[in-house]
Amino acid sequence: MDSKDLKLYEITAYTENHVGLLSAIAGIFARRSLNIEKLLVYPSDVPGIHKFKIVTRCEDDKIENVVLQIEKKVDVLKAFYHINNEYSGRESQLVRELVAQREKEENNK
Amino acid sequence: MAEKKISGSDILLRSLIHQGVEVVFGYPGGQIMPVYDRLMDYGDSLRHILARHEQGAIHAAQGYARAKGAPGCVIVTSGPGATNVITGVDDAMVDSTPVVVIAGQVPVSLLGTDAFQETDLIGLTTPITKWSYQIRRPEDIAWAVARAFYIAGTGRPGPVVLDFTKDAQIGLAEYVPAECSFIRSYNPHPVPSEEMIDRAAKMIDESRKPFCVYGQGIVLSGAEKELAAFLEKGNIKAGSTLLGLSALPSDHPNYVGMLGMHGNVTGNILTQECDLLIAVGMRFSDRVTGKLSTYASKARIIHIDIDPTEIGKNIPVELGILSDAKVALSRLTEKITARKSDEWGMEHIMCRAVEQHRVIDPELHSEDAELHPGEVVDAVASATGGNAIVVTDVGQNQMIAARYSKFTSTRSFITSGGLGTMGFGLPAAVGAKIGTPGKTVVLFVGDGGLQMTEQEFGTIKQEGTGVKIVLLNNNWLGNVRMWQELFFKKRYSFTRMVNPDFKMLADAYGIDCMNVETREELKEGIGRMLSDDKPFLLNVHVQENSMVFPMIAPGKSIDEIMLNEKDFFDREK
Ligand SMILES: Cc1ncc(C[n+]2csc(CCOP(=O)(O)OP(=O)(O)O)c2C)c(N)n1
Repeated sequence: MDSKDLKLYEITAYTENHVGLLSAIAGIFARRSLNIEKLLVYPSDVPGIHKFKIVTRCEDDKIENVVLQIEKKVDVLKAFYHINNEYSGRESQLVRELVAQREKEENNK
Repeated sequence: MAEKKISGSDILLRSLIHQGVEVVFGYPGGQIMPVYDRLMDYGDSLRHILARHEQGAIHAAQGYARAKGAPGCVIVTSGPGATNVITGVDDAMVDSTPVVVIAGQVPVSLLGTDAFQETDLIGLTTPITKWSYQIRRPEDIAWAVARAFYIAGTGRPGPVVLDFTKDAQIGLAEYVPAECSFIRSYNPHPVPSEEMIDRAAKMIDESRKPFCVYGQGIVLSGAEKELAAFLEKGNIKAGSTLLGLSALPSDHPNYVGMLGMHGNVTGNILTQECDLLIAVGMRFSDRVTGKLSTYASKARIIHIDIDPTEIGKNIPVELGILSDAKVALSRLTEKITARKSDEWGMEHIMCRAVEQHRVIDPELHSEDAELHPGEVVDAVASATGGNAIVVTDVGQNQMIAARYSKFTSTRSFITSGGLGTMGFGLPAAVGAKIGTPGKTVVLFVGDGGLQMTEQEFGTIKQEGTGVKIVLLNNNWLGNVRMWQELFFKKRYSFTRMVNPDFKMLADAYGIDCMNVETREELKEGIGRMLSDDKPFLLNVHVQENSMVFPMIAPGKSIDEIMLNEKDFFDREK
């Protein structure tokens, strides 16, 4: 299948703002020969958390694993994917809750 | 109370000791000399093993980690020292081995200038580590080391690389011991919900022919007892991946042997015939699954693994449980109904008998005057009573060692699985012996693989490491020769080896050696080899054209099992 016949996915990843993370994430795409159509990295709505927005064409049965591979990076808190623009506004709320919950776990240690 | 400032090199070494590191494997060079200079004064509190090549150092650290169950640690210089560890870093990544590599790096001011022996190690290793980090200031060392060990050893273990700049090594700072047991963006202890466990228990109770396939996840989470208890309560048969070997004792009544390409007939057939496949701590490698579309096609599948990227990656599963194997198995065992009978009937006994009759007996009782490698492994297993740690290299020696070794305790089989790194064996055996000095460590290695890292004879000589090296010497790159015979019309392109006199080589290093050609010599040689705790090379001339069967050809369904060059296993017969 020609890659332009593939669906466009938008991946969002919420991360620490650490050196080298961009190339670590880019490597996940390059290794699978996935072309990045669009890339944005900026501070998210959640204080202290950065956000990657990556648009790529990907086979439907591969996208889930790509997102999990991103999330597996130690410095990534959470990653999501959407088809085209059906973006969920709840994402940053979810991440905010996750950060709060993880910090509670740390304090309970 | 401000403590006195000490150098970054001291902070590094004290941080390693603080992490419980007892042994480091390494090799010095320009950009790590400040660390080596301090290392000399640490004496017994940090034992340094000088390898003969950085690849040897990292494989030794891997062998150490896998035998001992503690992270391995490596110190090397920048540039070529660092690039020489990369094979081992990748090997540790695919085989989930906790190792921490500390590599020297040029001063910060020279980064990015192509300075002498500057290599972008972070760039090179990011895709093949759990974490790669450059330490630029002495203040960051204690933190980075604590974090490195936490990441390497938790969740699905793996390698971490610390790129240690010269500035950080020589700069001064206070040493404040650091701990790491939490990183907000990293959760190595996922807890499966009650509902997941209930669903799994229900699926198990509903099944009539359940089968369990397990991997190294059992060993890594220390779930050996939990696995046995689970299998016994549910009366479930189980097969192991190559890396899972020794997690169950070989004579466990529920154990049916190894899975995959050169696995036992039983495990592969039961996978195809079961109505429920319970996969624990394994990753459905293509060497285990064969053709994906026909794999376990009659079964519902439960997959328990700690790595979310493995669940559903190769095989779609009905129920994926993200969990440590030990936690999931113990909770599952409580929930399942004890069962007395199973519906396998004679099936596994029949499979076993066919393999015994068609493959194992002819190999162990060969009419040939020359020894079959299987006889050698079998004789060693009998002599050690299955109590040795078995290390292998890669190739036929590896498959035969896996097939014929016997295990009585866990962490007794150390091999390069996912990467299949020739040259892994000798240094890994050195590391395993150093990590578990009370154990007998036997290495099975081919003549090709031995020559990839034979420089480690030097380490053995210097340290007096009592590894028992069994060279299955066939004068070929045997495994490739076998594939050429089977799949490349017997065109033996560059697989013949003209070998050195291995006995002279061993002599040169002061390693006892015996050449073996006959069955009598084999018996005598094994006796001599195991009579003390000194290093020994048993150079066994084995059949040059032997094959490894059963075999499932790559890409074939795992019930298309070749018993020899012509015949396939036939369930109906
Ligand atoms: C570093 C490396 N290079 C090449 C290979 C490919 N390979 C796999 S098995 C094998 C032959 C191994 O021969 P030998 O070490 O003599 O062992 P045998 O198979 O004869 O037991 C080769 C070349 C590999 N696995 N690793």
